Amino acid sequence: MNCYIAKKVALLVPLLFGITFITFALTNALPGDPVYNLVGERSTPEIISKVRKEIGADKGIARRYVGYVSLLLTGEMGRSYFTNRRVLDDIVAKFPNTLMLALGAMVIAVPPGMLLGLIAALKKGRFADRVISAFSISLLSVPVFWSGLLLMLLFGLVLKLLPPSGTGGLRYMLLPAITLSLPALGTIARVTRVSVLDVVDMPFIRTARAKGIASSRIKAVHILKNALIPVVTVIGLDFASYLNGAVLTETIFGWDGIGRFTMEGIIKRDYPVIMGCIIVGTTLFVLSNLVVDILYYYIDPRVRIRGTDR
Amino acid sequence: MPRVIGNKIRKTGLFSYLIAFSLILVACTARNRIEGYIYYRLNSNPTTLDPALVNDVQGGTISAKLFNGLVRLDRNLMVVPDIAERWETGERGASYLFHLRRGVKFANGLEVTARDVKFSFMRILDPRGKSANSWVLDKIAGAKEFIRGEATDVAGITVIDRHTIEIRLERPFSPFLYLLTMTAAYVVPEEEVRKLGPDFGTHPVGTGPFAVKRWDHNSELVLERNDRYFEGPAQVKGIVYRVIPEDLTAVTEFEIGNLDVLTIPAYEYSRYRTSSRWSNLVASAKGLNTYYLGFNCARPPFNNFKLREAVACAIDKGKILRTFYDGRGRLAEGPVPDLLRKWEVGAPRRYDPERAKRILKEEDKVTRPIQFYVTSDPEVVDIAEIIQSYLRKVGLDVKITQLEWSAYKAALNRGDEDMFWISWWADYPDPENFLFPLFHSSNHGAGGNRTWYTNNEVDRLIEEGQAAGDAEERDRCYGRAENIIVRDIPWVSFWHRTDFTIRQPYVKKYRIYPIYTIDKGTEISF
Repeated sequence: MNCYIAKKVALLVPLLFGITFITFALTNALPGDPVYNLVGERSTPEIISKVRKEIGADKGIARRYVGYVSLLLTGEMGRSYFTNRRVLDDIVAKFPNTLMLALGAMVIAVPPGMLLGLIAALKKGRFADRVISAFSISLLSVPVFWSGLLLMLLFGLVLKLLPPSGTGGLRYMLLPAITLSLPALGTIARVTRVSVLDVVDMPFIRTARAKGIASSRIKAVHILKNALIPVVTVIGLDFASYLNGAVLTETIFGWDGIGRFTMEGIIKRDYPVIMGCIIVGTTLFVLSNLVVDILYYYIDPRVRIRGTDR
Repeated sequence: MPRVIGNKIRKTGLFSYLIAFSLILVACTARNRIEGYIYYRLNSNPTTLDPALVNDVQGGTISAKLFNGLVRLDRNLMVVPDIAERWETGERGASYLFHLRRGVKFANGLEVTARDVKFSFMRILDPRGKSANSWVLDKIAGAKEFIRGEATDVAGITVIDRHTIEIRLERPFSPFLYLLTMTAAYVVPEEEVRKLGPDFGTHPVGTGPFAVKRWDHNSELVLERNDRYFEGPAQVKGIVYRVIPEDLTAVTEFEIGNLDVLTIPAYEYSRYRTSSRWSNLVASAKGLNTYYLGFNCARPPFNNFKLREAVACAIDKGKILRTFYDGRGRLAEGPVPDLLRKWEVGAPRRYDPERAKRILKEEDKVTRPIQFYVTSDPEVVDIAEIIQSYLRKVGLDVKITQLEWSAYKAALNRGDEDMFWISWWADYPDPENFLFPLFHSSNHGAGGNRTWYTNNEVDRLIEEGQAAGDAEERDRCYGRAENIIVRDIPWVSFWHRTDFTIRQPYVKKYRIYPIYTIDKGTEISF
C-alpha cells in the first residue's frame, strides 16, 4: 500500500512540470496582453515598454519559463501584475473558503443523494423510482446560475433568512453550498441507483439471502458497500473540481474562492495568478484522485488482492 | 455504517438531516452591518490603492477617500485648495508656487511636507517604477529627461522650504491644475512607501478623511473615519465597500438593506424610475463621457471621408438612445461633453438613410465586409448588432469581432479594425481632455487617438488652446478644433451617458458627481 501511494506521489512531480509547461505556453498563446490592462487609456510607447520591462514581459518566452520554474523551486509563485500581492499569499487566504464550500456542498449532497439512489434502486420501476429519477435528472440539468439566483431571491429577498452574498461563516456558506450541491446530488443519486442495481442481481447477494441474512443487513452491508466504488469516484471527481473553484456560484454569491480569483486572473491576463492557481489546482485534483484510489483499496477487496499479487 | 437501514432509519435519518438544516436556517438572518458605516458596492476587487498605480474608476474612487492632492475639484468642477492652502501662478501659467497647509498629517502621524510632494511626483515619473501615469506630470520642466533616464532629478520641481514647493512647466499648459486633481498626483508619505515597497498598494497610508481598517480581498474593504482629518471628520463612522460581481445579487443586497447606495444596473433602471417606493430616491449626474463609433481613418475603406459620412447618416442614434438605452444619456453633438462646451457645434450629421444610400452608390463599392471590433461586454455587443443592422439596410456588410479588453486594445493600437465602439471618460473637466488625447496626431494608437486621425489645423488649434492663458481664447481654439473634427467625422459621437444611483431613504446628503475624485465621503450621513 505504501509503495502504491509513494508511486502515485512520485508521479506528481513530472506531472506538475508538464502542467507548468503547458499552462505557460497556453497563457502566452492567448490573445491579449496584460500590459494593455495595466497602462490605462492614455499611454505612450515609452510607458508601454517601461511597464512591459517592469513585469518582465519583455524577455523571450523560454527565459520567462525558466525564470518561473526557478521561482517555483524556491517555493515562490511571484506577485500579481495588478495587485502587486504575493500570489501564494492570496491562494493560501482563499483556499480555506473554497475548501469549506466544497465540503459544505458534499455534506449536503452525499447523504440524500445516496439515500435517494438506494431507494430508487430498491423500488425499481415503481412510482418512487420514477419520481426520484425525474428529480435527480432535473437537479442535474438546472444550471447553477439559475438555481443560485432563485435560492438567493427566495432565502435572501423574500424570506430574509440568509445573506444573499458575502464570504464568512456557515450562514454565508449555506446558499452557495446548496447551489453547488444540487447537480452533485442529482449525479450521486443516479450513479448510486445504477450501481446498486448492478449489485442487487449478483450471485453473492442471492447467496446471502439463501443464508437467511436479514434483508436490512443485506441492503446496508452487502449491497451498499459493494455499490460504493462508482459513487466514491463521482464524489471524488466532483469534490476535486469544487476545490478548483466554482466560478459561477462564487460569482453569484460573491464568495471569495479560488474560482473567482482564477477567473479574474484569466480575464486580466495576470500570468502569475493564472499559473499559481492552475498549479495548485492540479495538485489538489491529483491528490483528491489519490485519496479516491486509496479509498478503493479499503472498499474493494479486489484492489487489495491485485495489490498483493503484484 | 449503520447496521440497520430499514424504513425506520431511512425516515429518521432524512428527518434529522432536514431538522438540522432548518435549525441552521432559523438561526440565520439576512441582515449584517456595522453600525454607523455606509455600505457601497464594488463590481470587482480594486486592484491597488497606490495612487501611482491606480488606473481604474474603482481604485480612484477609494483613493480619493484615503489621499489628498495639492488641489482638488469642488462640486462645481472648480479647482480649490486641498493640501495646498493657496498658490501663485507665474510666467503666464508656466510656473506655480504652492503653499502647503500646516499640520496636515498622514495616518502614521507625520506631517505632510514639500518633500513628500516632490517624492510623490518623482515616483510617478520614475523610469524604474511601474506607474503608467507619467503623462499626468510630464509637462513639468525636466520631467521628460527624467523619464528617459537622462537626469537624476526633475529640474522643474523645487522644494523651497518645508511648506512651499515650486513647480515649473516646460511651457504654459492651461489644464495643469486640473491634472493635479487626479489620483496620480495625490501625496503619499515617503517613509511608508519606502518601508512597504510593493505592499503600499494594499496598506495605503494617506491624509484623507478615511483610512483602511480591513481589506478582505474580493470580499470587503472597510475604511474607518480619520478623526484628525484636516477639514474635520466625516459624518459617517466609516465606509464598507462590498465586492459583489453579480448585478442581481447587488440589487437583492440593496433591497434588503445591506447596501445603502447602488449604481443602478441598466436593466433595473426603468423599474426604479417608475416604482413609487424608489423613484424619489434615484439620483442622477450627467457624466463627463462620450460614447462613439470610431473609424480607422488610416486605411481603406474609411480613409474615404464620404464613406464615414454615409455611416454617420445611416444610423438613428437618437432612436437607439431612446429605446435600447432607455434614455440614460444625452445625444452627443460632438466629442466634447455638453457640460464642458461653451460654443456651438455646426451641422453634425443627422439620420438620413437615403443620403447614405446615395453616397454609397456614388463611391466605389466596398468589396469586403467591414471589420467592426467591440469588447465582449454584453451591452456593447447589443449596440454593435443594432449598428450592424442599420448599416445592412443601406447596403454595408459588417462583420462584428468581439475581443477581451486587452486583446481589443492591442488590436486597436495596431489598427487592425475598420470600425470600433468605445467610450472616453474625463480624467479632468476640461475640453482639452476630449481633444488632445483623442485627436492630436501625436497620440495615434495607445495615446488615445485610435482613429489615427491627422489634421494639422486641429493639432495647431489644440496646442494653442493648451498654451492660452485666457479662457475665452482657449474656448475659441477648442471650439474651432471641435467643429473641424465634427466636419471630418473620424468618429460618430453617439451620446454622453448619465449615471443613476439609488439610495436608501435614511441616507442623507448624498450626491453623485460627474468625476469620482470629487467625492471625499465627508458629507454623506444617516
